[in-house]
Amino acid sequence: MRLKTVSPAGWRIIVVIVVILVVATAAILLFVTQARAAPEQPIAFNHQVMGQLGIQCLYCHNTARESPAAGMPSLAKCMGCHKVIDPTNPVIKEVVAYWDNQQPIPWVRVNVMPRFVFFSHEVHVNGGVNCEACHGDVAHMTVDRPVVRMNMGWCLDCHEKQPNASQLMDCVICHR
Amino acid sequence: MPPKITRRNFLKIATLGAGATILAGCANPRRWVTLEPYVRPPEEQLAGVATWYASACRMCPAGCGIIVRIMNGRALKIEGNPEHPLNQGKLCARGQAGLQLLYNPDRLNTPVTQSSRGSHQFKAIAWEEGINTLFEKLQGAGDQVAVLGGSSMSGHLYDILGRLTGAIGASPPVIYDPLVSMNGYTALKDVDMALFGKAALPTYDLGNADIVISFGADLLGPGLSQVRYGIEYGKFRSGRLGQRGYLVQLEPHMSLTGAKADLWLPVQPGMEGLVAQAIIDLIASQSFASPDPLRLERAKLFAGPVDLNKTAAATGISPTELLHLAHIFAEAEHPLAIPGGGLSGLPDANASLTAVQALNFIVAMAAGGTGGMSLSPEAQLSKLVVKPQPSSFIDMLALLGKMKAGVVKVLLVVGSNPVYELPLQAGLAEALAKVPYVVSFAPIVDETAAQADLILPDRTYLESWGYDVLSPAFDLPVVSSQQPVVTPLFDARSAADVLLTVAKGIPAAAKALSWTDEVAFLKEVIGGLPAGVATGAGGVIWERYLQHGGWWPAATAALQAAPAGEKLKPQPLQLAAPQFQGDAGQYPFFLHLYVSSLLSDGRGANLPWLQASPDPLTTGSWQTLVEINPATAQKIGVVDGEVVRVASPYGEIEGYIYTYPAMRPDTVAIATGQGHTDYGRYASQHGSNSLLLVGAQPAWASVRVNVTSTGRKGKLSIFEWKLGVEEGFPNQSFPGG
Repeated sequence: MRLKTVSPAGWRIIVVIVVILVVATAAILLFVTQARAAPEQPIAFNHQVMGQLGIQCLYCHNTARESPAAGMPSLAKCMGCHKVIDPTNPVIKEVVAYWDNQQPIPWVRVNVMPRFVFFSHEVHVNGGVNCEACHGDVAHMTVDRPVVRMNMGWCLDCHEKQPNASQLMDCVICHR
Repeated sequence: MPPKITRRNFLKIATLGAGATILAGCANPRRWVTLEPYVRPPEEQLAGVATWYASACRMCPAGCGIIVRIMNGRALKIEGNPEHPLNQGKLCARGQAGLQLLYNPDRLNTPVTQSSRGSHQFKAIAWEEGINTLFEKLQGAGDQVAVLGGSSMSGHLYDILGRLTGAIGASPPVIYDPLVSMNGYTALKDVDMALFGKAALPTYDLGNADIVISFGADLLGPGLSQVRYGIEYGKFRSGRLGQRGYLVQLEPHMSLTGAKADLWLPVQPGMEGLVAQAIIDLIASQSFASPDPLRLERAKLFAGPVDLNKTAAATGISPTELLHLAHIFAEAEHPLAIPGGGLSGLPDANASLTAVQALNFIVAMAAGGTGGMSLSPEAQLSKLVVKPQPSSFIDMLALLGKMKAGVVKVLLVVGSNPVYELPLQAGLAEALAKVPYVVSFAPIVDETAAQADLILPDRTYLESWGYDVLSPAFDLPVVSSQQPVVTPLFDARSAADVLLTVAKGIPAAAKALSWTDEVAFLKEVIGGLPAGVATGAGGVIWERYLQHGGWWPAATAALQAAPAGEKLKPQPLQLAAPQFQGDAGQYPFFLHLYVSSLLSDGRGANLPWLQASPDPLTTGSWQTLVEINPATAQKIGVVDGEVVRVASPYGEIEGYIYTYPAMRPDTVAIATGQGHTDYGRYASQHGSNSLLLVGAQPAWASVRVNVTSTGRKGKLSIFEWKLGVEEGFPNQSFPGG
């Protein structure tokens, strides 16, 4: 009796399937990790140092309580302190260079909300949601990176636990 | 030898390629976007929240109120100001496109000098140097200074220019551009002076009228005030319960207003006055059951001997139709006759305009009444605020005469582009050659700036100060306020500020212009106005005036009724068929030149939004269309898209044939606005300048042309084809064709 062996053509099919599986897995893994990775910033801004010094988020992102956008601090705000504080630090020297040229620092947005979603910082912050609830423990990060995948399921997970869930679960709350 | 590409190999390569693409796509952080925070944040800006500023539109002379949406210091959207009494929150396409003037990539970033005119060899200079040069030239010229301005210039700039020329003994600024002549501003004022004893522009209470006979007035197009007449038209049609206004439009080529008319009559060009005369004569001779018997009496004052059949033959309007028009006009409660701007371009402009305005005269609206013609009320403000006074073409020719005589040493051009706008025969080129120094204040190098020695770029209206006294202003006298809604994007300076600075060095002018800057000047002028709605009770509070977009009194002010004219002695109308320029044999067609709905008189041609927007009737864009009746096209053997040469006794242009069923077969219609040689990348090298077909005389609307094929064919850039439209008009032949 002859053992049934795999023909060369069959081997080739198996190899192709394995290659496809490996590539697909790699792609998925890469996508997932990349989605949570920190984007490259023009200056390696260290949130941790600020956190340790007890500086509140709202000190720099000061419109979060009164505007849909949390706001990025102006360069004038950075220089308000760093004209005096640690101006010889190599990273702060980079900030000063921008100020000398009167050019804005081209920060890269870390948490991106799709354009079809209406999100307002104002209602969340005034409603008692901490910054950390969505942005993670930024005060213990060096360069800021996204920690949660801000998709619809994640939003609704919180919305449905609220006392006025019936309102907050309405589509047009976010999609308007 | 390279490997053979078999099917198998191809699939392998394709699979590998797709896999690589997927991997590359995952690794690429394409979702990251860069933010641009402020370097120094303005106090009133809140990130993520829009700020709206009220200002005035400057895209045409109407002066609508606008509000502009500002996010992080960038102007994003222009809307109509809902509080403004003229446009009541509405805005036209040209007003919306104003953003592209602000962000136009062809704007000058510094003052420049040009060593030889027309060379485009510009040399950037510092502002100090530019201002000093202007000062030296003005000082050296003494009183031999001339100013040429455009009709949509801010009132304060006109005021400052007027004071400056007055102080140094020069003649006052000439305000002339094609909108001035094609809207017939000066001719209408003259006629109103003779008929009603008041030199004011007429406004028509379309909203309360029941019968409107428009003699070629494109009210819904780019005429006197497109947005307001749009609102009025809405009221005219459906504002009153159970009553719908009836609109008759007489014109050789269907305009937007004509397309909405109940009765569209293709009158022979230039014969509108004869139709008006026939209507008056019929009202005087027939005993219509008019609600106002005096109407018939007044008609007799104007009535002359009119042969109905002869008029019908000359005008192309049948006796039955003439009788119908007279009948509805005499028996209507609130009839209204509106002369089109084209009438002012006839050799006997005043006679034709008088004939149409006489129809309004015989209706003789009572004081405070509604539904008729009134005279624009801005004259009440004339002692308090200044408004640019349009000059006639004769004034323009007088200025050119002075330039040719060599008595103009320095010419200042502000908001006007005469090299593009004036007919070649006017001789502007020779006149400019005789002027030693030409200074332009154009923000973008236009045809005139290209012939200037020095360009001091003005700011665009979204970054500069000003005001506009509305004219015509409908029921209220209104001053629209104009303020900068963004910080200036380019290193341009306000022309008014430059002139105030220069005036400091000229002793006579320094006395007349003692203000430190234009804002100080504006505050003083506006502060002199009485209390208005929303500007504060005691007087005008500057901040409130800016916040609400202007000054206007409470809405109860009585209309400036067109007086019945007991003191004036109306004469019987004397009209003759106008003489057209050009031999009828050599130039078989009448030229119907009309203002483009989008590009206006050419000032909108540098805005791609306006270039790319389809014309409301032809749906054409970016091109010069030569519109002729399909029957005519068949007769002379041209087809859609064929490139033709249109020649008049004065010049010739090329354009694409567009067969348009809704026009007379003996007429060729061309819009204005294209054919720039300068004025930025979006304006130049598109189409032809139809203003070149007109001669150097006030009668711009009585020119004959011929059409010859060049044998070339192009593609029409039109948005919709005419299927269905042509089926509705099976080569219909019109009377007179």
